[in-house]
Amino acid sequence: MVVKEEVEVIKEVEKEVIQTVEVVKEVEVEKIVEVEAPDVPKGELIVSVSTFPNSIYMPNAAERNASNVANQIWEGLTWVNDDGEVVPALAESWEISEDGTEYTFKLREGVLFHDGTPFTAKDVVASWEAGKDPSNAYAYNAEKAKAVEVIDDYTVKMTTEAPDPLFLRSTLSKDWAMIPAAYYEEVGLEGIEKNPVGTGPFKLIEWVKGDRIALEAFEDYWDEGLPKVAKLTFRPIPEEATRIAAVQTGEIHIANRLPADEAQRLLGVENVKVVRYPSDRVYYISFNNLTSGIGTPIEDKLVRQAFNYAIDREAIIDALFNGYADLSTGYITPGNLGYDASIEPYPYDPDKAKELLAEAGYPDGFEIGMACPTGAYTNFEQVCEAVGGYLNDVGITFEGGEIQFMESGQYWDLEANKELPPLFGDSWSTTDGEAYNRLQGALGADASYAAWNTAELQDYIDRIGSTVDDVERGKLYSELHKIMYDDPPFVYLYEPNTFEAINTAVQNYKPRAAEDYFLKEVFIAGAE
Amino acid sequence: MQRYLLTRVVQSLFLLLGVLIVVFFLVRLTGDPTSLMVAKEAPAEQREAFREAMGFNRPLIVQFLDFGAGILRGDFGDSLHFRQPALELILERLPATFYLATVALLLAIVIAITIGIIGGSNPGSAIDSLGRALGLFGQTIPNFWLALILILIFAVNLGWFPSFGRDTSISVVLPAVALGFGSMGQLVRLTRSAVLEIRNEDYIRTARSKGISQFKIGARHVFRNASLALVSVISIQYSYLLGGSIYIETIFSWPGLGNLLQQAVDGRDFPLVQAIAFFISFFVIALTLLTDVAYALIDPRIRYSS
Amino acid sequence: MTAATPQVGFDEFEEQTWQKRLAYVGRLLQRDRGGMLGFILFILIVLTAIFAPVIAPHDPLKQNLRAAKQPPAWQEGGSWEQPLGTDTLGRDMLSRIIFGTRVSLTVGFFGVLIAGTLGMVSGLVAGYVGGRVDGAIMGVVNIFLAIPYLVFVVVVAAILGRNLLNVILIFGITDSPIFARVTRGEVLRIRESGYVESAVSAGASTGRILFDHILPNLIGPLITLATFEMSAMIFYEAGLSFLGLSVPPSVPSWGNMLQVGRQYLTIYPWIATWPGVAIAITALTFNLLGDWLRDVLDPRLRRSRK
Repeated sequence: MVVKEEVEVIKEVEKEVIQTVEVVKEVEVEKIVEVEAPDVPKGELIVSVSTFPNSIYMPNAAERNASNVANQIWEGLTWVNDDGEVVPALAESWEISEDGTEYTFKLREGVLFHDGTPFTAKDVVASWEAGKDPSNAYAYNAEKAKAVEVIDDYTVKMTTEAPDPLFLRSTLSKDWAMIPAAYYEEVGLEGIEKNPVGTGPFKLIEWVKGDRIALEAFEDYWDEGLPKVAKLTFRPIPEEATRIAAVQTGEIHIANRLPADEAQRLLGVENVKVVRYPSDRVYYISFNNLTSGIGTPIEDKLVRQAFNYAIDREAIIDALFNGYADLSTGYITPGNLGYDASIEPYPYDPDKAKELLAEAGYPDGFEIGMACPTGAYTNFEQVCEAVGGYLNDVGITFEGGEIQFMESGQYWDLEANKELPPLFGDSWSTTDGEAYNRLQGALGADASYAAWNTAELQDYIDRIGSTVDDVERGKLYSELHKIMYDDPPFVYLYEPNTFEAINTAVQNYKPRAAEDYFLKEVFIAGAE
Repeated sequence: MQRYLLTRVVQSLFLLLGVLIVVFFLVRLTGDPTSLMVAKEAPAEQREAFREAMGFNRPLIVQFLDFGAGILRGDFGDSLHFRQPALELILERLPATFYLATVALLLAIVIAITIGIIGGSNPGSAIDSLGRALGLFGQTIPNFWLALILILIFAVNLGWFPSFGRDTSISVVLPAVALGFGSMGQLVRLTRSAVLEIRNEDYIRTARSKGISQFKIGARHVFRNASLALVSVISIQYSYLLGGSIYIETIFSWPGLGNLLQQAVDGRDFPLVQAIAFFISFFVIALTLLTDVAYALIDPRIRYSS
Repeated sequence: MTAATPQVGFDEFEEQTWQKRLAYVGRLLQRDRGGMLGFILFILIVLTAIFAPVIAPHDPLKQNLRAAKQPPAWQEGGSWEQPLGTDTLGRDMLSRIIFGTRVSLTVGFFGVLIAGTLGMVSGLVAGYVGGRVDGAIMGVVNIFLAIPYLVFVVVVAAILGRNLLNVILIFGITDSPIFARVTRGEVLRIRESGYVESAVSAGASTGRILFDHILPNLIGPLITLATFEMSAMIFYEAGLSFLGLSVPPSVPSWGNMLQVGRQYLTIYPWIATWPGVAIAITALTFNLLGDWLRDVLDPRLRRSRK
């Protein structure tokens, strides 16, 4: 449903980008018509990752690059398909109790792990226990289930604390990795990290740290006819310019996370097509009303609106993202459940900003502290500089004379302790197709990173977090979207586009807004 | 000689201990890596549980003693990011870095000494101008800039070399050139001035009048007279290349130690930063020791003066 | 390295009037084309730094995002309003390059000042007092030499934050061991020359010996070293920017400009080219100047060049 719209956006956008180079477009269309997927896995697909994955065990995979490798090896009980629907994966069906806290899963029979052992109910329990280990970075995902019990070999019952609308969609689809219980008992968490054994379409051959992660097709994969490539290799290449070079020379098939400007240059290159898709990550300048912002002018709603009017975000997007980013209207993005398309982004109107500031009692502006992280996000330092310039234009000056830039590790430390200045820049992504985690994380009363909270917002967050019905929840999101627009806890900046360059031989590759890769259906034209 | 050797070895061991202490406390001063590792959405209790599980909440001195005791057992602690013994990670990466640094240095030495001697023996010639240019540009062009240009020209446009990684035997060429360029500049200058310096000495004139080729004269006498200086410069360059490969390895995605250090630094992976810093220091100290011994062998006077 | 000779050249030089001295420097410069070029460029760079607000056509911090990424004047779409084009935030490249001179020279000058002072004092004490003091000081110096400087940089940047002062401090501290080593070496050489001993036996006080005999002989080698180290620091600053650890992004340093421009290398090449050229020219200047100073101030070399 909701995500489906986004996939269409992707295709539209793709055409638009490619249209600027006619030849590329024609060649590509011909190929799609001619090429058919092979019956057996063939060829090698080489994909770049922009960081060195820390772990390919899901509960520890620190960021998208790592989890994208993990996605090929592990599976959850459910899966979210390309149309954004929750569909069966390792669980064939499920029932949810009246009060929404008890889930009974019927497991798929005949599923094998990479080591040949069959997948049964006790493996689900082991996966839950392994995931809860406090040394896991994402241990809290496993803790979302209070209890997991074996009913019989192919039936499992799970209990949650309260109704959890994202339990099937996120927690069980991508946050848990199903591991074999016997193997876990034998080798422990360390062994799982080192030699992962899952049920996914690909199994690990070797992981040469810093060089490659090589996977091969799992011949006994339960989903008949998949995967389509015999080998799948991930190559870590942190430098953008090198990823661009490597896709041009044909050394890799998919170059991820490219800067907008440089991606344009690839439009004229033979054998390479450029795709662009909006990513579900909101960039913003946050206000603080919990610690450092108490008693400052930003507590006034008019001031916060003025800030939103004061910044020419279109110019920022043009200058720094070559025009390829969407103006943000709030924490709920176009692909999210409950997005209200009628809300227009704040226009650039410095006069209106000054008026609002005057109305709030600050005709000459005021001084306030602002901080931004460095080395965290593409071009974000420059975005902050630009924001600073626009705020100066309406009379806002910064404590210490300028924006404080801090190394990201130190920055997030301070952010988690609510010790940043009253204005600070950051971003928040979600992979759920809805904004709950982002809202709870940045605004929830008990969240580490939250700097802003009001009773009204908290009430909405609580209600969203316990409303299982999608339509009802969607309505709540829409209302909240409007409220957070009128009385903004953030200066909403932009949602960037992701650019990737892909070898034209690669077929059936469908990128998702969350940058999640599921590569089992991808094949290579003409692979032997 | 044995006495001298023994003293130098003991000194080096103390040096290593000093490095260990300084690095440990410096790295610890940067704070706690929990925020970098635990998900933003995680509740406060999980952050605490994580800190506990990783031992970040223990007193510093306890953490240090633990670290020191570990090293004596050959245990450098586990990388926080990779959940793997730091030593294992380093040993995996070490060969690639040594290989790159060695090739870079050999390339630099061969090219620099050839150009330096030929150029120095024929001042004002085209080769001499090339040598002088190399000497200057080697120290004025940032190596990461050179690396990007090399990729554009030789990988993308000409297609002669791979753009990244260490897949084939020629993969090393571009990173080695980028890495060794600065050293090449230094060595050219050194060789050239050494040749110039002895050019007009009587024995060289004699040799030349006997019809021995310029290059042979240059090579023989440079090595005899400037070998001490060369040994020391080469050792300095080598340790510089080992520690300084961080930019080049990152750009070429070369699976070495520099690359690993960049990540470890980025993610504040304490045990890994410590272990890498320790290893690089270890090699620098070992190289210095070897150089000093080589010095003492070449020129016995040095032993007594230090 | 071999037999030490007391320096006389500098003392003679000291005794002349300033007009004669100036004329002497002029003659020395005339003799060396490279030195002349270095000297002229150096003066130009210093003047640019001092008069930056007068020379620069625009405010280097004034943003105009609607006029971002404009090419240099001579390319299609460029204008003489911004002769070297604009950067990603529409700031004037020429003005930023001009103001960048200030940042680079500040980093280089004060970095070397701190490193030189620290290094000279510790080297003097170590070399002059000798014995255990020497051992202790050189121990610390060697520890600092052995630790990859990047570890210091990361730690200082993380604890103290990114600003100009901290970058200067980092360079000052991490570079001081080199000065200490050179100073100590020179002091030992001078002491062994017998020249100091005769002063001691003639009843000169420690202060007199230091100021009259040792310091004047140190100035030559140290100034030469300082010149090369300044060039190195301008280089390091660019390297730190590559890792995002140098001065804050808002400061128009050449390193920061190069770092931002790097990702537009093939599409808006001027953004990275100008700071790259500026770094190269400045490094070249200091190298030429350093070469010349070494020739002039180090009589051992001067003799051999005749």
